[in-house]
Amino acid sequence: MSDDELAKDLGLVSAMTIGIGTMIGAGIFVLPGVAANAAGPVVVVSFVVGGLIAMVNALSVSELGTAMPKAGGGYYYINKSLGPLFGSIAGMGDWMGLAFASAFYCIGFGQYLAVFVPLPEVAFLNPIQIGALIAGAIFVAVNYIGAKETGGVQTVIVFILLSILTVFAVAGFFAFDYATLAGADGLAPFGTGAILPATALVFVSFLGYAKIATVAEELKNPGRNLPIAIIGSVGIVTVIYAILVSMMLGVVPWPELSQDAPVAQAAQLAFPESIGPIGGVAAGAAAVMTVGALLATASSANASILASARINFAMGRDKIVTNWLNEIHPNYATPYRSILVTGGLIIVFIAFLGRDIEVLAKAASVLHLIVYALLNVGLIVFRETDAPEYDPDFTVPLYPITPILGAVLSLGLVAFMDSIEIALSAGFVLVAVVWYFVYARGKTTQKGVLSDYISDREEQLPDQVVNAADAVAPNGAGGPTIMVALANPRTESALITLASALAQHEDGRVLATHIATVPDQTALETAAANRDRIDATSESLLDTAKADAEAFDVPIETKTILSHRGIEEVFDAARTNHADTVVMGYGGTQFAGGRAEGTLDELAHDLPCDFLVLDGQDLDLSDVLVPTAGGLSSDLSAAVAKALEETFGVAVSLLHVVDPGEEESGRQFMYEWAAEHGLSDAELRIETGDIEATIERLGRDYSLVIVGATERGLLSRIVRGSLVFDVIETLDTPVLLAERPSSRSLRERLFGRE
Amino acid sequence: MSSSHNDTPTDILEHVLLPVATEDDALATATALKPYEPEQVTVLHVVEKGEGVPDKTPVAQSEEVAAESYAAVRTVFPDADDHTAYSRNVVEAIFDAADEVGASAIAYRSRGGGRLMQFLSGDLSLKLVTNAAIPVIALPRADSDE
Repeated sequence: MSDDELAKDLGLVSAMTIGIGTMIGAGIFVLPGVAANAAGPVVVVSFVVGGLIAMVNALSVSELGTAMPKAGGGYYYINKSLGPLFGSIAGMGDWMGLAFASAFYCIGFGQYLAVFVPLPEVAFLNPIQIGALIAGAIFVAVNYIGAKETGGVQTVIVFILLSILTVFAVAGFFAFDYATLAGADGLAPFGTGAILPATALVFVSFLGYAKIATVAEELKNPGRNLPIAIIGSVGIVTVIYAILVSMMLGVVPWPELSQDAPVAQAAQLAFPESIGPIGGVAAGAAAVMTVGALLATASSANASILASARINFAMGRDKIVTNWLNEIHPNYATPYRSILVTGGLIIVFIAFLGRDIEVLAKAASVLHLIVYALLNVGLIVFRETDAPEYDPDFTVPLYPITPILGAVLSLGLVAFMDSIEIALSAGFVLVAVVWYFVYARGKTTQKGVLSDYISDREEQLPDQVVNAADAVAPNGAGGPTIMVALANPRTESALITLASALAQHEDGRVLATHIATVPDQTALETAAANRDRIDATSESLLDTAKADAEAFDVPIETKTILSHRGIEEVFDAARTNHADTVVMGYGGTQFAGGRAEGTLDELAHDLPCDFLVLDGQDLDLSDVLVPTAGGLSSDLSAAVAKALEETFGVAVSLLHVVDPGEEESGRQFMYEWAAEHGLSDAELRIETGDIEATIERLGRDYSLVIVGATERGLLSRIVRGSLVFDVIETLDTPVLLAERPSSRSLRERLFGRE
Repeated sequence: MSSSHNDTPTDILEHVLLPVATEDDALATATALKPYEPEQVTVLHVVEKGEGVPDKTPVAQSEEVAAESYAAVRTVFPDADDHTAYSRNVVEAIFDAADEVGASAIAYRSRGGGRLMQFLSGDLSLKLVTNAAIPVIALPRADSDE
């Protein structure tokens, strides 16, 4: 669709710079000193190992990202594949991981800022934390207001950084001294056992690539650009890290490398004091490096805050967090609440954990690694279950080795973290699980591909598996499915309103379908080629439906169905989507499309579920009239009336028409019937005379008349256009026809599915 | 989308382009326009794009806001067309859209805010009224809200 294309404005270079820009800040400017201090010169190997682990995961992220270029990245894939329990864990992990990473970048910013500007010590905060807090507050404010960087700023920053680092590398090359690198105690003064713990520490410098996936929906040609950008940026930064860290350690002996501002220190030593007559070169170079470090850490923190808002949005869309969080600011058009909450977390992390940059770095890594492990499992689930919607443009090489390796390496690296970060992360995972069961389980309707797979094969799988899957399955979708068959934009609002009221009343969901009928002469394939046009109509219709249903806060899904058949397709769709009730317009029943009446008749005689057919365009519900003589279909009318009463507070009147002289028994029947259907507070009207004439006479004063089909096959008669039900034609008041199939068991009936 | 009466419209309210930002804004704007009984209304939402940097708001989220806004306008003008534009420059996108749908005028409601706010959000009102090729109608602000 053309709209889709317009929304995509990030090219390959932009995507790549997002990845590189986010990663490079940490690896080069912040961590070398701390990491070298922990492992000695072999820390270069730690960086390379980190790069390899990141690369394996980058392959998996690329496959998932090209299959689902959606906002949310890792969270989205995991929620889709493993279901909302793991989705909650992944969402929380990603979100907190980004908050920790942002806090870490802010501390890095503070470290270099402290080199430039003397910062005070306030209460329990050291100067670096003060600098970090200032930075954090600024980044949050910038994102809150949504101040637009001019188009190429990110790209320019990354290119400036890369050029600074190139000059630095060249200067370092001349100042490099292998003896300095090898040091007094050899390359591995703490033994090779120190390599992996150091990898655990520096892994935070590889977290940026997944951020490309969180903006995948904005990428041009994601099928090609996403894998190149993700894999390319990981490859490039790994090489840069290996070269520059080796070089720094060849210029400054590792025990002396600054823990706070290593690049500034190395630059001071790498550059000559003066070139010819120009003095102060080394000091100038150190200053340039410091500016570079500030830019790099700032862009990393900024990108992380931006990415976290996308994860919140994706979680809100699946109802795992409340949509309150994703409210858009009326003036700045930014998801300001999400940004403020994330900002608050960052501030807390800086203030209480910021004294030890290692804790922030590792906590960010542990949480991300958990997400990566789940994401690899998710990839395997997508592949093994043959999910029909899963069609990645890029596939990982050596499947299934790559994703298995990715999961194992990710979890394996977690083992090298310290207990405090593991405990912190475990705490967040626990919070996510509790959150899921306490809040999200009842709201979300998203089931994972995995649980669909399990429930489709209930017989073949061990009971434990099925039970376990049921135990964690979302129950937000536990209520009935109300399917709306939309055709005409004019009736959309009325139909959706009715359906939403029913869904809200019964904690069900709405499925809005637009059945686009294609003339028999047009092959469906040709129609599919013309899809753009159909899509445009369909989309606007369904979007409006969505907005209408959301006003009721009921879950809604939408679907476009291309078909040669009209009404028959409604039946089919109701069956395949396990609809409990179909709501459609009277007009929609008319397009029988010249089909043989016999088949139609048969179809309409064998209703797949309850049907509600509305004649009328505008619903202005204040009071409804429900004529009844008992029977299955009037049970349905009663249920609808009850739903409208509770949702809109409409006044319900029940009408029973009897022969003269039978008023008393009629009243008795009415009274019991009302009580049985929970409508005791309804006005009871007993009338004598002709039924249709009475309905017509009284109906005029109501805003809606709900008529239950008094005999089977009412719908089939409407469909054939042979309805002799004058009420519909003569009454100006909207009429809702209700028909409940008699063949269904009591248990199966709409409002008593449990 | 639907109309093409581009040639000097005689009636300024023949086809009004209604740029709106959010659901609330859409409803207020449409309500403010209602008394003047425009013949045709096209409601426009501009999704702000980064064009080279990630957007400040996820696109899908902006599109949801657009759909809500359209629905809000349709509660006032049931037959309103809608148009979604994607651009870094909101005002330019409004002009382009006006051209595309053949609007006779652009009607908007200033969202107020102090000088600082207007400065930060780029003072769209000023740009809108100074650069437009067709009449721009500034709708009155009901003082009851905000």
